[in-house]
Amino acid sequence: MEPAIRLGPEKARQVLVCRGTGCESQKANLIFLNLQKEMDRADLGGTVEVKFTGCHGFCQQGPTVMIMPAGTFYCNVSPDDIAEIVREDLQKGEPVERLLFMDPKTNDRVLNYRDINYFVPQRRIVLRNCGFINPEDIDDYLAVGGYDGIKKALNMTQQEVIDEIKLSGLRGRGGAGFPTGMKWEFCNRSVADRKYIICNADEGDPGAFMDRAVLEGDPHSVLEGMMVAGYAIGAANAYVYVRAEYPMAYERTLTAIGQARERGFLDKNIFGSNFNFDIKVKLGAGAFVCGEETALMASIEGKRGMPNPKPPFPAVKGLFGKPTNINNVETLANIPVIMTKGGEWFASVGTEKSKGTKVFALAGKISYSGLVEIPMGTPLREIIENIGGGIPNKRKFKAAQTGGPSGGCIPAAHFDVPMDYENLTQLGAIMGSGGLIVTDENTCMVDMAKYFLTFTQKESCGKCIPCRLGTKKMLEILTDITTGKATMEDLDQLVELAEDVKDSSLCGLGQTCPNPVISTIKYFRDEYVAHIEEKRCPAAVCGSLVMSPCQHTCPAGIDVPTYLACIAEGKYVEAVEVIRERNPFPAICGRVCHHPCEGKCRRGELDAPVSIRFLKRFAADWWFKHIDELPEPFPVTKEQKVAVVGAGPCGLTCAYFLRKMGYRVTVFEALPVGGGVMALALPDFRLPRDVVEREIRYIEARGVEIRYNSPIDVNRTVEDLRKEGYEAVFIGAGAAKIQRIGIPGEIDGLQGFCYGLSFLEDAKAGREVWVGKRVVVIGGGNTAMDSARTCLRLGAAEVNVYYRRTRQEMPVTDLEYEEAVDEGVKFHFLVSPTRIVSDNSTLKGLECIHMRLGTADETGRRRPVPIGGSEFFAPADVVDIHLRSTEAMVIPAVGQAPDLSFLPPDMKLELARWGALKVNWNTLCTNIPWLFAGGDFVTGPATVIQAVAAGRRGAIAIDKYLRKDPSRVEIPDERLEVVYKVTKGETITVQSMVQKRSHLFDPSQKAMVEEEGMGLKPRASILTLPPEQRIQGFDEIEISYSERQARDEARRCLRCDLER
Amino acid sequence: MEDKLQEIFSCHHGSRDALIPILQDIQGEFGYLSPESMEAAAKYCRISPVEVHGVATFYAQFKFHPVGRNTITVCQGTACHVMGGARILEEVVKQLGVKPGQTTSDRRFTLETVACTGACALAPSMFINKETRGRMNPGKIVEVLNGACN
Repeated sequence: MEPAIRLGPEKARQVLVCRGTGCESQKANLIFLNLQKEMDRADLGGTVEVKFTGCHGFCQQGPTVMIMPAGTFYCNVSPDDIAEIVREDLQKGEPVERLLFMDPKTNDRVLNYRDINYFVPQRRIVLRNCGFINPEDIDDYLAVGGYDGIKKALNMTQQEVIDEIKLSGLRGRGGAGFPTGMKWEFCNRSVADRKYIICNADEGDPGAFMDRAVLEGDPHSVLEGMMVAGYAIGAANAYVYVRAEYPMAYERTLTAIGQARERGFLDKNIFGSNFNFDIKVKLGAGAFVCGEETALMASIEGKRGMPNPKPPFPAVKGLFGKPTNINNVETLANIPVIMTKGGEWFASVGTEKSKGTKVFALAGKISYSGLVEIPMGTPLREIIENIGGGIPNKRKFKAAQTGGPSGGCIPAAHFDVPMDYENLTQLGAIMGSGGLIVTDENTCMVDMAKYFLTFTQKESCGKCIPCRLGTKKMLEILTDITTGKATMEDLDQLVELAEDVKDSSLCGLGQTCPNPVISTIKYFRDEYVAHIEEKRCPAAVCGSLVMSPCQHTCPAGIDVPTYLACIAEGKYVEAVEVIRERNPFPAICGRVCHHPCEGKCRRGELDAPVSIRFLKRFAADWWFKHIDELPEPFPVTKEQKVAVVGAGPCGLTCAYFLRKMGYRVTVFEALPVGGGVMALALPDFRLPRDVVEREIRYIEARGVEIRYNSPIDVNRTVEDLRKEGYEAVFIGAGAAKIQRIGIPGEIDGLQGFCYGLSFLEDAKAGREVWVGKRVVVIGGGNTAMDSARTCLRLGAAEVNVYYRRTRQEMPVTDLEYEEAVDEGVKFHFLVSPTRIVSDNSTLKGLECIHMRLGTADETGRRRPVPIGGSEFFAPADVVDIHLRSTEAMVIPAVGQAPDLSFLPPDMKLELARWGALKVNWNTLCTNIPWLFAGGDFVTGPATVIQAVAAGRRGAIAIDKYLRKDPSRVEIPDERLEVVYKVTKGETITVQSMVQKRSHLFDPSQKAMVEEEGMGLKPRASILTLPPEQRIQGFDEIEISYSERQARDEARRCLRCDLER
Repeated sequence: MEDKLQEIFSCHHGSRDALIPILQDIQGEFGYLSPESMEAAAKYCRISPVEVHGVATFYAQFKFHPVGRNTITVCQGTACHVMGGARILEEVVKQLGVKPGQTTSDRRFTLETVACTGACALAPSMFINKETRGRMNPGKIVEVLNGACN
């Protein structure tokens, strides 16, 4: 992969120090100095050469020191490490292990850079010398075949050179991808007394830095490319236009030109021919638009950098009115090697229409950011997951932005797209300069579009009205969207405006600046709609809408920072009251919530997220332990009464908040107990029965009437409820209809075969369950986990879980998965059952097949694809089937499903595509104005907190309906204030404040919090019973925090809400 | 100042296309472009002062007021934005007490922003004078400010 190394006489080894801008910013100059010092001290100068190089692209791991020819690669080196490297490696021959690159998958140290996964798939043509030669030494360049390209060209005719470039299929790497050979030909055809070559090194795209790396690391390759271009076109004068923000690139280019001149490679009669050619360097002055060729030329001419209409094209009339050929740095760096190895060779790399390689600047939410050069046609997945090391912090890929402010985004559904010009254009993105910014679930796409428009609006030169005014208006609309002030009409106007600006702008800046807007609306329209209609930022980024990311992400919008502050001060009762403003199940959620809040916790960016869920449990348990007297019922202040069907978390939450608003509510529950799946199926070791009972008793104490053993069915329909005087009905009946896998042999009544949900229900109810010694559980959701762990507790010797996807796709929290693994559950990924084998209603086993992950589906998840010929037979004593739970609002092919059979068919209720009731997502109203529905009943199996959120939304919507208020349901972030009102004994009430801004911000409070919070205390671990003890019974496995631990943990909260 | 300007002019042709390099050298010497220096440049390049003014005000690099002894430039590029560049700027603004484009009252720091420093792999980044500092977080800002050499 590397060029042939030139070792000086008697030098057996080389030490290469990267001194590109990235590594320089981390003291690479000191590293180099120390190296020279240590070499002198060790007297190794005779056999070891020390050299500095330009950027090799593995910037994330810099500063780096490489030892050749072995290829030993030291990364994250500091100047203090040099003495050790010299002593141990150079003198003793023992590599310094701790500075070697560590492979994240195996945790092994990799000695040789050629084995590092980051480099292995790369094909380095443009970057062939970067990181290996000294950019400030022309002899280094000559030793690796430098200037052979121009020598060869000088022995060909101009047309022959042009044909060679055409044969190569090289296309402009600056962004537009115009065929280079053709461009040269146009300019060659122009007749004039003077022609110019310009190298566009303006690289204004934020996020692109490959041109910088090439100029800093291998400037001669660009100069040589310019010379070949000059010869082919008939130009004797050239400019390199470097942006002002690249001082090192500027200096190194000047040095290279000086050295080339000294050797006679520039100026007159180059290499003994008639060809004269000289290069000047011009520095930009800070204008993105000067990357556009006509603006660039205006800048060289000393004018304002404003573009001019084309035609005339620069090839005909360019710089100073003369025919001019402008090429990008990366394009030019390819030229010398195309000349020496041939156009045909170059065309053998890449795809049909996109030849050669492309250098991508990988940055953003990626483990290894830096420069990557790969053949055209390499799939995006390969670049991001394999080379780039994937998204850090276990987050999910959201989109990759290519082409900077002119480009578009590639969402997860297209993660497998082969990267070339045509494919990207088809997706609405562009190749652009090669900047590839990776984003994860914590990036807001609306914010990104606004970011790009802010940039292009500022850089708009102002010459043409569509760009000058269009960008301003687009930015205004985007700003309104991110601050919750826009309407859906504004969104339509934004789309229209984007198209208009694109069509009518004078230059590339205006013509492409709407691309990020168009692209993000195309793939993430629902994010825009959420901002506009729900005033929600799904990524919890947009400051005006987000009080704190935790509250904003919580489906129920619980005021997390306030209740954490209460806990920190020892006010546990207050904390629980704050939680109950949005969620009447603090003890339950403190145990089983999947805590999306923790995923967005800003403290998590520093060390680890605040342990929000477990603190909720602590406060709730304290409340139930210390408060004996249940509070009074909420007073009835309204005339109407409402009926709720189902006493699960959704129905009970709805009832609770309706009562709180003053309505009489009756909950009709078919079973003898309330709590739904939480009470019936969730195993005791995760959620003890008495916890659920306590929370339900609280809700009843507050005035909610629950009638058990009162099903709503053909004997008493929802319409009957209306006749009984209930003016509105909310259905929270859950989803407990078990789905079958749908494979041959799946017959009822097989001994040893039972569906997960019913198995869990039997176990929880204490009924007799037979558990075999070897168990296979199929599925990867909560039900599968719970069943597997229950089997272990009931005597199974071996429990295997077969899941058709991988760990990454399992919808369970890390904690749950680890607990299952600790207890001894064995996971087998990418396995799917194909047939259940039985003999006379006795189960014999399972025929299975191995799967592999294929390409992404529309949601971005990889489809499992069977591997032909990998079938195997798994004998089992009990085959326990769990149908994988799906995320809400996706068409469930397997899983549990809602049972709509109790609804009268003549009601003509509208159904959604997947067979559940269709509801308005804002009001949860069906097509019948008094009938509402939410929770698992509508979405399919989801989480407790989502059910709770739906319940409260339903209550708010029903209240509006009963008051004839047509406005939308709005659930904004709120900071709650705890107000002490002493009534009977000591009653605490919580007052909700309308979200206000700065005058509530108390700077002294924030400062105090910062001092405490920033003390970088690590997260208090959640202790659990040892696994061997856990599986002896069904006791809760998590050991509660002590008071001290809870208060300290709560103080780790950074109080993000105080900034608003 | 006259002498310095003449020194600068002597390194360039007196033509239009030398204007931007001349202005860059003047700013390199004095730290900013004063009306007098721009007029002198206009004369040397044989163009009108308003033309010089038009060119100079087009480019973000040129300053028309004396700058502080140190310039802090916070990168607001895409990679830096995604990695929290906005918060870095917020923090710098808070600590210096000035907004981008302004200079602190003790003339020690001028604050600027730039769209991209090219150190994207080390986002979020900022320049202090001509040095790049990558992998910034709000905690490291104090260190950078204290280490400013002027």
